[in-house]
Amino acid sequence: MESWHRGRSLGDRLLLLAVMLLAIAWIAPIVWVVGLSFKPNEVLMRSTGGIIFPPFTLKNYTDILAASSVFGWMANSAIVAVGQTVLTLVIASLAGYGFARTDFPGRRVLFVLLLAALAVPEQAVIVPLHTMFAQAGLHNTYIALIAPRLAFPFGVLLMTQYFRAIPAEIEEAALLDRASRLKVFWRIVLPLSIPAQATLGIYTFLHAWNDYFWPLVSATKPEMYTLTVGLASMQTNFAQTEGIGFLMAQAVFAGLPVLILYLFFQRHIVSAVAGGGAR
Amino acid sequence: MANLSLRQVSKRFGHVEVLRDLSLEIPAGEFAVFLGPSGCGKSTLLRIVAGLEAPTSGEVHLGAERIDTMSPGDRGVAMVFQHYALYPHMTVRQNMAFGLQNIGTPPEEITRKISEAAAMLEIAHLLDRKPGQLSGGQRQRVAIGRAIVKQPKAFLFDEPLSNLDAALRSRTRIELARLHQRMQTTMIFVTHDQVEAMTMATRIVVMNQGRIEQVGTPMEVYQQPDTRFVAGFVGTPAMNFLPVARVEERAGRAVACLPDGTEIATTVPVGHLPSGDLTLGIRAEHIVPGDGAEARVVVIERLGERTLIYADLRDGSTVVYDEPGDVRLDIGQPVRLAFDGAAVHLFGPDGMTLRG
Amino acid sequence: MADPKGAPSRGSTGAAIGEKHAANLLFVLPYLLVLLVLLLIPLGLGIWLSFQDYDMLGGWNGGVGLDNFRNLLDDSIFPGAVRNTVVFVLITTPAFVGLGLFLALALNDSLRRSAVLRTVFFGSSVLSVTIVTLIWRLVYLPDRGLAADILGLVGLHGFDPVTSETWALPAIAVVTVWWIIGLPMTLFLAALQQIPAELYEAAALDHASRLTTLRNITLPSIRRTIAVVAVIEIVLQFQLFGQALLITGGGPNNHSRPIVQFIYEAGFRDLQLGFAAAASQVLFALMLLAALGQMWLSRRGEN
Repeated sequence: MESWHRGRSLGDRLLLLAVMLLAIAWIAPIVWVVGLSFKPNEVLMRSTGGIIFPPFTLKNYTDILAASSVFGWMANSAIVAVGQTVLTLVIASLAGYGFARTDFPGRRVLFVLLLAALAVPEQAVIVPLHTMFAQAGLHNTYIALIAPRLAFPFGVLLMTQYFRAIPAEIEEAALLDRASRLKVFWRIVLPLSIPAQATLGIYTFLHAWNDYFWPLVSATKPEMYTLTVGLASMQTNFAQTEGIGFLMAQAVFAGLPVLILYLFFQRHIVSAVAGGGAR
Repeated sequence: MANLSLRQVSKRFGHVEVLRDLSLEIPAGEFAVFLGPSGCGKSTLLRIVAGLEAPTSGEVHLGAERIDTMSPGDRGVAMVFQHYALYPHMTVRQNMAFGLQNIGTPPEEITRKISEAAAMLEIAHLLDRKPGQLSGGQRQRVAIGRAIVKQPKAFLFDEPLSNLDAALRSRTRIELARLHQRMQTTMIFVTHDQVEAMTMATRIVVMNQGRIEQVGTPMEVYQQPDTRFVAGFVGTPAMNFLPVARVEERAGRAVACLPDGTEIATTVPVGHLPSGDLTLGIRAEHIVPGDGAEARVVVIERLGERTLIYADLRDGSTVVYDEPGDVRLDIGQPVRLAFDGAAVHLFGPDGMTLRG
Repeated sequence: MADPKGAPSRGSTGAAIGEKHAANLLFVLPYLLVLLVLLLIPLGLGIWLSFQDYDMLGGWNGGVGLDNFRNLLDDSIFPGAVRNTVVFVLITTPAFVGLGLFLALALNDSLRRSAVLRTVFFGSSVLSVTIVTLIWRLVYLPDRGLAADILGLVGLHGFDPVTSETWALPAIAVVTVWWIIGLPMTLFLAALQQIPAELYEAAALDHASRLTTLRNITLPSIRRTIAVVAVIEIVLQFQLFGQALLITGGGPNNHSRPIVQFIYEAGFRDLQLGFAAAASQVLFALMLLAALGQMWLSRRGEN
């Protein structure tokens, strides 16, 4: 790290200034939108200037609490996200342990297959997947929303890597302690992998919560809309809309859970996303 | 308590042959140390006994049973790993109970066995702590305790002292020796440290490149090495090796002549001596100042209870000899050294000790 | 539990423990089933579909060979969509790499304010695409948006990127960089922290200036990461969809319509599944080509 190298030179000060300006540019849209959500719609129809001046109102938020479908969308998103997270953790942990620590016929080949599957983007399978679920009559169900992402190899690869890093000696000691393979997994290895579970869990939850394309084409009935789809459905007649304040309030409302999660679990989220991106 | 029998055990990893046709009998109750440099196959051999590796060919028997086809847990052996391998998320008590729980031992019996072992190892006050809260020495005792409660037919130790600092290492050596006396169980101990081997073993198995060089008691291995490798590996400082320029005969015994002209009368019978280059080996304690070779002091190492003196002979070979206490010598000072011919070893070109 | 002898096992090297057992397949079986049904079969099905005339309304009309692909070439929108997507990737990838690296270099220390700043720059990436587009559509509103307000301060009026043929795609690019700059920044930060401190210390003892250190020590050490980030961004940005669909709708005049939006519309609006599947295969192929191309470029740079 270069921190000790850093002095109070002019270059350093300019650098800091540049970064600060960028940071302001980054926060500006969010702050602006939050500010707008506290202004009455009528005022906004005319102009959006004068954010920091009154009038302010909480009406946009009370409207949400009263009548908006945001809650329904959130509930759907929550069910899908939790379901996908739990199932992914179970399936990926089992498979990760299998690949990392046990030997079976075809292990190498299957692992290479896994790595190859990483390269497949969502769009290459979304059309046929949609057709398959349509034939099975499974659209507009939670199953359809939860299932497809379970096949993504990232989770298995993450858990495989993590299990490999656990010293083999510990498992060997357990084998010598007369534990069966399953017991070694359940009582020794799994508890030790909780950090990886947390990372994978948060990563999966976030992606499930923010997923757009698949819910868009699979959850076509309004009562099955997830948060992303529901929010997008409100964005149609934008320029003419009378409810800019209301819209912004909905955006703030929708973004709040994730941002709160982020502030509490930032370290986990960052490492999860970085790990995911690095694949 | 059972004797261990290895019959023609070989192990290959891919194309690399790590163990070559090893056969070995270790009587019950022995403290056997597998001693050798890194890569000699000693750890692999231990893991084969434990069941963590399968031999490519050969058989392993413990007592009356053939164990190389059994799973690790069923063999009746317990192992103490180099890095202890304690379960980090369990307390010491749970670590020790795990093995017994897995075979359905009743809880009262588990508690009793843990208390006994904990008392023996003086870790009773640590039972509710987790490994992360323990020092290296404490962890090691827990690892040993985990092995003891299983009451195995044989204990296996995989270089358990390498992670300890010097002071702790000597203390633990004594504790392990005491443990063996108390429990009288067969113990197999793997190490590259010949001091550990010499001090703890009732029997040393010296290994090199996948083969057994010699099996014997510590003193046998020290005083009567079968090969040049064993002679050079055991003992501190290492044995001096000098090339033999030519051999003469006197009263039926070989007289080794060194390149600088010194003649040493050995007790090796002169018959059946192989042709080719011979090597002479002599330990530091068998070289004393006296009427003999001319040499010049190059390095002096004062250890406190004795001093090691390195001196160059006229032909450039360096020998080390020791004197008790301190010496009044300077670097560069000439000395004359006498070699005790009765304690000298002669090695043939193949490395085997020549005994006539 | 007697295991059959003979099959070698690997031990303390960190690889498998114990014998090779078909029973161990049970660990990976659940995942393999899911992989087969939800990824491999659809993949195969998609490839097959791209050679069929399959319409949700008209049903399956048999194989048509390469007709779908030929029609894509002749289509009024698709070639443009490809061009848009490629241009988008070419704009955003350097931006991600450059800005991400800049931020990582600037914030790679343990100061409190750097931690706060890192939080800021990463925070936007936890928002969903719909929230992000909601925010930025408002920002881009012609006379009431934040962008218009700010530009108005410097005397530029009438700025409406959403309806501008030249500025629609760049406007989306800005949104995208704002959205996911956190990922490249974090990847670069991780790489920078792998550089051993001794290298910097040695350079300091050699009287190296900040710039020299940067050029001769820092950048060469993370060369591989730069290549990796480039590939990742290329692959990600080829999949541009939500931002375009929701901010500009692909317009004006298809000037910001990406390939994925084309797939969406062909497959789920016009219900021409074979056609959409063919477009998906083209996208997949383009992504692979671009990624491989970038990797080859990086390898050449290393030699």
